[in-house]
Amino acid sequence: MDLNALTDCLSSSSCLVTQATSGFIIGMLLFLVAVGLTLIFGVMKIVNFSHGAFYMIGAYLAMTVFQATQSYALALLGAAVGTCLIGIVIERFFMQRIYGGNVLMQLLVCYALVLILDDLVRIVWGPEFRAMGMPPAFQVPPLFIMGGVVPPFYLFLIAAALLMAGVLGLAIAKTRIGKTIRAAAHNPAMVSVLGINTGLLFTALFALGCLLAGLAGGLAAPVRSLTPGMGFSILIESFIVTVIGGMGSIMGALVGAILIGLIRAFGALGFPLFTEALMYLCMALVLIVKPTGLFGREAA
Amino acid sequence: MTRPALRDAALALAGFLVLAILPLITSSSALIDFVIRCAALGLFATSLNLLVGYGGMVSFGHGLFFGMGAYSFGILMQRTGMPIPLAVLLTLCISALVALVVGAICVRLKEIYFAFVTLAFQMLVHSMIIAWVPVTGGDQGLRGGIPRPAFLGINLSDQKQLYLFSAALLVLGLLAMRHIVSSPFGYALRMVRDNATRAGFLGINVYRTRLTAFVLAGAFASLGGVIMSLFVSGAYPEFAFWTMSGEAVFIVMLGGTANFLGPLVGTGILLLLNDFVTRTAEHHGLVLGSVILLFALGLRKGLLDFVMEWLAARRTRDAATPAPVAVKGTST
Amino acid sequence: MTKTPSSQMNRRAVLALTAGAAGVMAAPWVARAQAKAVKVGMPTILSGRVAQLGTSSRNAAQMEVEKANAAGGLAGRAIELVVRDTKGQPQEAARVARELVNSDGCEILIDAEASTGAFAVHEVARDLGVLCIHSNSETSSLTADPKLKLPNAFRCARQGIHDSVAGGTYAAEIVNAKGLTRWATCSPDYAYGRDTTAEFVMYLKRFAPKVEVVAESWPKIFQPDYTESITKLLQAKPQALYSCLWGGDLTSFIDQAGIYALFAQMQFFAVNMADYTALTTVKNLPPGIHSGNRYIKTFPATPQNAAWGDAYRAKYGEYPTNWAWQNALAVNFLAGAAKKANSADGKKLAEVLRGLTIESPFGADGKVTMRADDQTLVDYAVGWGTTIAKEPYVPEMKSVAWQRIFELEAEWKKDKGFV
Repeated sequence: MDLNALTDCLSSSSCLVTQATSGFIIGMLLFLVAVGLTLIFGVMKIVNFSHGAFYMIGAYLAMTVFQATQSYALALLGAAVGTCLIGIVIERFFMQRIYGGNVLMQLLVCYALVLILDDLVRIVWGPEFRAMGMPPAFQVPPLFIMGGVVPPFYLFLIAAALLMAGVLGLAIAKTRIGKTIRAAAHNPAMVSVLGINTGLLFTALFALGCLLAGLAGGLAAPVRSLTPGMGFSILIESFIVTVIGGMGSIMGALVGAILIGLIRAFGALGFPLFTEALMYLCMALVLIVKPTGLFGREAA
Repeated sequence: MTRPALRDAALALAGFLVLAILPLITSSSALIDFVIRCAALGLFATSLNLLVGYGGMVSFGHGLFFGMGAYSFGILMQRTGMPIPLAVLLTLCISALVALVVGAICVRLKEIYFAFVTLAFQMLVHSMIIAWVPVTGGDQGLRGGIPRPAFLGINLSDQKQLYLFSAALLVLGLLAMRHIVSSPFGYALRMVRDNATRAGFLGINVYRTRLTAFVLAGAFASLGGVIMSLFVSGAYPEFAFWTMSGEAVFIVMLGGTANFLGPLVGTGILLLLNDFVTRTAEHHGLVLGSVILLFALGLRKGLLDFVMEWLAARRTRDAATPAPVAVKGTST
Repeated sequence: MTKTPSSQMNRRAVLALTAGAAGVMAAPWVARAQAKAVKVGMPTILSGRVAQLGTSSRNAAQMEVEKANAAGGLAGRAIELVVRDTKGQPQEAARVARELVNSDGCEILIDAEASTGAFAVHEVARDLGVLCIHSNSETSSLTADPKLKLPNAFRCARQGIHDSVAGGTYAAEIVNAKGLTRWATCSPDYAYGRDTTAEFVMYLKRFAPKVEVVAESWPKIFQPDYTESITKLLQAKPQALYSCLWGGDLTSFIDQAGIYALFAQMQFFAVNMADYTALTTVKNLPPGIHSGNRYIKTFPATPQNAAWGDAYRAKYGEYPTNWAWQNALAVNFLAGAAKKANSADGKKLAEVLRGLTIESPFGADGKVTMRADDQTLVDYAVGWGTTIAKEPYVPEMKSVAWQRIFELEAEWKKDKGFV
């Protein structure tokens, strides 16, 4: 433990800014993955263990498109759309069969999908780790904000993720589809009685989750090494995020993700050997005090 | 003893005899290793099924107790050199105690939240194992082998004797768990699973029933850990990692939750699948994943559950007329 | 319970089926008749994050097995390599190793496992008494700790303590020349990372007493994001940074640190950089990273070494890894020992292996030795140099005399209570 380092940092604006942005960076990628998880759970009541695999697919697609076109914008688009399409196929073929079924069977199917997708990525892109490289536009020196160091790429990443969060939040709150989604989360049978095609709604929602996970993969690709199975660690952290924030809550996912990001950033200073455990401790505490999570509704 | 209890004991004895005779028929040491691993994972998975199948509590952190068993036993043997039976007993007590503490916090929670808190506790323990290097050896595990002083003329350094010892633990463990689930407590547990509110009205203390199940399951899981630590002659942090819990959940699913022996069947399937696929296929994730999909989407339940239901359906069809089927309820 | 005749029939049918199934299941375990070839079992990691290393271990060993067989195998018996995936799990490593010996009839094990798996296989070797060569574990205690010693287990791999002596010596020279006294470390939080870093710092401070370590960061192994470590390092403003991150973790760290312009502010000493897997993967490799050699075909700068690297690349379409040369060497040692003992028997081979010196492209002076007293590899090429972004990646490697490594290693063993 190194509490001096932590208090030193908290009293210096440069350190505070640097660590806080680093917390946001970690948090924003987590948010993009976690929000898909939380939406899928909120409406379909499925704990989608295979969600991390879509993040992996997004990262690999981004790398491939980037290497072919040298355009990072196209790479992001390719990652999001490509992952979304793959998500639709998987939803139609596998997920639809397990809605409303035995929870353990759902987990089993997701687990099988992870195994299969990881191996397919291994076959397509090879077992070795890969790197996409930083797009030239972002190969610039970092900015100094209030004495803190912030790379422009990470500003872009945070902005992109916040934009998605805003659009998503507005869409759910204001649009007709958003209302349907909220209604379906509350009572799917009623929605279907009202003549809304829940099958289609579920597919669309799953695809949206995959799109966001793919986007997160695309955003992570320039700075993280790509390996089959890379979706795994982000999946675990995303779970912690959704549990802390409350399963089914978008706001919860955002707050939970930033919380975990900050725990990592400041935990690395104060408790360098205990950061991981700190996250689990935080999750256990939230669950014990408020089992539905910070923003979760009481289960019906 | 009641008649069913006698029947169970007789079956257990028969099972043990079959296992005991096996090495006399074949000299294959790989088969012996296979049974030892089956014993370790079978006890682990069956104990999880106490929670999942009988208690309706899906724990994602059951590996904690498997790891706890392996580490407690390993550390006791390495540091104190006490007789093995005493170390096994102490390990059971330690694990039960840990389960009591963890369970006291966890069992209040419902469904998916219970799953996540158990997972969180497991990861906490895993981090502790990694960080507490002087005692646990950190990420390198307990090294240097686990000493196995002979007791009552049994020498566990000999693989055949370890085999008999593991088989005996397996059979005794299963028998004990079988006894638990057919006791009044077992029925109370099932009632809590099906409808906790109604069970409460009937005077069952829901919290205490769940907690007792959690403690018992933890203790039996650690027995599996003891066998595994003897098999690999060490203990490794992987034993307490969440993947171990995932594997147990997976085994329970493969075999089926509605039959007492389901998890044991699941253990056999998983180990066979694992051993066969890693031997032959380069892309075993692909093969294993496809097989699981087939199970989950095709059978939609564990193998033993599927077979039993199929047999029951056939029986009702065969005995179309008078003789009523008197076997309803044997499944649980 | 009422029983109808048909249900009894069913039971009998089920019993017959079960018995049949048991027979089918048991079939693969029935040991096959002893073939003429010497089977060498190799448990290694063929799936997951480090699959590439396991595959290269298999490839390199296979390449040498073919050469050895062309030259008469082990005392006239051909070598047959049996490779199995352990997924990097210790209980699988133990299981696979046992199975290789007990049911596949392997007479020798080349344990191409990392860290915990190697210790698990070590226990199997203790149990079964089979000749076992650890080819990938760099953890010093595996052979240095006399409590773990087995007459039948050897290590044919580089060792943390050797690297640290070489690294400390090299870094101290630069420290003294450029006055780099403020240091930071960033290494993975597991035994290899902690031990290697502690040993490097120990020798660095010894050769350059003015050095002080102002910050330490310990990310988890396989952690995808190092941002918090990077910013922590930036705060500390060190003049030099040491890291023993490796593989994909190292390349992630470099990519992420790159956009913070970390390498413009400090000298970077990354012992595991000069490995083709990392060198060829990083897209924006900052120039002038100091690194130890892992495998690089230009060091030692001999035609034999270059030829070996090229042959491997020609055969498998990729560069060899650090694990590749170690496994190739393990096969070479077996072949050399069999020649000397004129036998393929494990006990006799072990006898001859102790103290055996063979010619090798990977040797510091064209030769490597299996040191007799702790049964581990010495005299292999150890060096440090600075990287450039293209071939040959490390134009010049500085090596450290083995005599010096031996002296310091002996001291270290005494301090640790191993002697």
